[in-house]
Amino acid sequence: MERVVEIVPEAGLHARPAAKFVETANEYDAEVTVAPVEDGEGEGVAASSMIAVTSLGVKGGEEVRLSAEGEDAEAALDALEEVLSTPEEGDGE
Amino acid sequence: MRTYTGTGVTPLTGLGEVVWYAETVELDDPPEPSEVDPDAERERFESARETAEADLESERERARERVGEEEAEVFGAHVQFLNDPQIADGVESAIGEGLPAEHAVHEAFADSIEQFEGMEGRMAERADDLRDVRDRLVRVLSGSAGTDLADLPEGSVVVAERLTPSDTAKLDPERVAGFATALGGRTSHAAIFARSLGLPAVVGVGEELKGIEEGNEVVVDGEAGEVIVEPDAGARERATAAREVETRSEPVETADGREIEVAANLGTLAELEGAVEQGADGIGLFRTEFLFLDRESPPDEDEQYETYREALSAFPDGRVVVRTLDVGGDKPIPYLDLPESENPFLGERGIRRSLGPDRELFETQLRALLRAAAGEGRLAVMFPLVSTVEELEGALAAVERVAADLESEGVKHAIPELGVMVETPGAVFLAEELAARVDFLSIGTNDLAQYVMAAARDDERVADLHDPLHPPVLRAIARSVEAAHANDAWIGMCGEMAGDPDYTELLVGLGLDELSMSAVTIPAVKGRIVDCETDAADRVASRALDASTRNEITETIDQ
Repeated sequence: MERVVEIVPEAGLHARPAAKFVETANEYDAEVTVAPVEDGEGEGVAASSMIAVTSLGVKGGEEVRLSAEGEDAEAALDALEEVLSTPEEGDGE
Repeated sequence: MRTYTGTGVTPLTGLGEVVWYAETVELDDPPEPSEVDPDAERERFESARETAEADLESERERARERVGEEEAEVFGAHVQFLNDPQIADGVESAIGEGLPAEHAVHEAFADSIEQFEGMEGRMAERADDLRDVRDRLVRVLSGSAGTDLADLPEGSVVVAERLTPSDTAKLDPERVAGFATALGGRTSHAAIFARSLGLPAVVGVGEELKGIEEGNEVVVDGEAGEVIVEPDAGARERATAAREVETRSEPVETADGREIEVAANLGTLAELEGAVEQGADGIGLFRTEFLFLDRESPPDEDEQYETYREALSAFPDGRVVVRTLDVGGDKPIPYLDLPESENPFLGERGIRRSLGPDRELFETQLRALLRAAAGEGRLAVMFPLVSTVEELEGALAAVERVAADLESEGVKHAIPELGVMVETPGAVFLAEELAARVDFLSIGTNDLAQYVMAAARDDERVADLHDPLHPPVLRAIARSVEAAHANDAWIGMCGEMAGDPDYTELLVGLGLDELSMSAVTIPAVKGRIVDCETDAADRVASRALDASTRNEITETIDQ
């Protein structure tokens, strides 16, 4: 199954949001790939690889296509969508 | 005596002996493949990976305590790099070709490091993270501990090409006199850690730094951004004198007797101790967001009460100014239905949410605050992002309602001092009306500059505009001060401007009663206040207010 999600953290899939994303992907029994939407129907990279995910260089406001296969596919997509939709902690005044 | 120039990242000066720190471990040529047992190497790699992960977790914990939650998360990213399947595959295939584990690790990381190095901006920093993780693994595998940064002789100045986050977090500010690096800028992890730890530091000195030798005596001047090698008596004296002004635990006044409160900005309770150590008179901005972030449900009233009491008990004689929950589109809270906004900074945030969708949360927070105000200590409460009188009156009415509830329940409570943050142009133009209704105003210069100059604070392309020294921002500050004083309210400043010692005289001249800042800059600012003559400060302020450009203001301050 597939889902298109907009990246909310302004830094995009950068150090901390990416770490959270990869950590979450590894919690589920599913093969998840992630690809920038603007690349069309590209294959995408493994969501379980921090190197692959950060090297996409996806910025805040851009969309990615998540594809998942396996027992937990739907749960994995829900959790990953949640991660990508949560803004990063900014600071005050 | 020779001087190297870089970027100073803390207003602190240190004197000590150089310890050169080289992060990378040089590997010998690998042995012949026939001499290597792949199974044994696989096992060595696996056990090194486990050791490295355990180390990273304990460093993450240590950074959380000493530097803060947000910065500690860099170690979370490192754990993910360490466990990356691409690395595991690369190591496996290199071991299969007959390389020993440490060489296999080098090879497995090489392509990725190169790939990130070729990218721009923050992406290039990932190359540093990967090197950090690679070197950690290699160090474990080769058993070479290298220099133990956590155990340096007292008075060491660490000099390195670069310091990784894990390196920097190991430095003990009680023992280390400072550090200097060839690479890095003001916003690098090393710089951020230096500020949190209160370490004198200069970064980005460049290749010349290699002219410094192990054992040289150096002064690290984090304010001027200078590293002075073999300092003469004068430079040494200035360095030690600068160290002596470091902490004044008592409140200070100007040379002619005007008292200025110097307080700390606080993001978590973990920072309380540092604030006391640096000589804060109290807390001028206690951000309460941390209580609400990173959890599944909001903190209850009792938990909040305990937190506020803990802050108050750290400052029995000082004031603790708590800001009510300031969230909006830019801060994530899982259990709040935060709106998606094209423009979070202009959207539903701060008091707008407290009087709207988060009203229940707001009233629970007020209950906890009113209860906390009934004990020892001086509590003050301020509301963020107010820009109309109606909003302020709504907040004040909520306080009264909560007080009436507590009264009828027979719960001990008191009304704290109440105030408003001046962050929007609206609040500046209404400063008289707002000040007439509260005990104090507090200027948040970061947001004020953002809104007055219409320049987003995190957009580097307009960074030049986002500066409190532009005349419109300075005049907004002056206007707010005047309005506060005309209405018998006191006025403080809790934005970054307050913590820059170069602005202290100007701010005294503008009439601020209180300055609140990161704890680390308190000693330097207190030192400036003590040297300040109010007449001279008034002249600086009035010349600055007459200026029509930022350059003219900068010149005024430098004179």
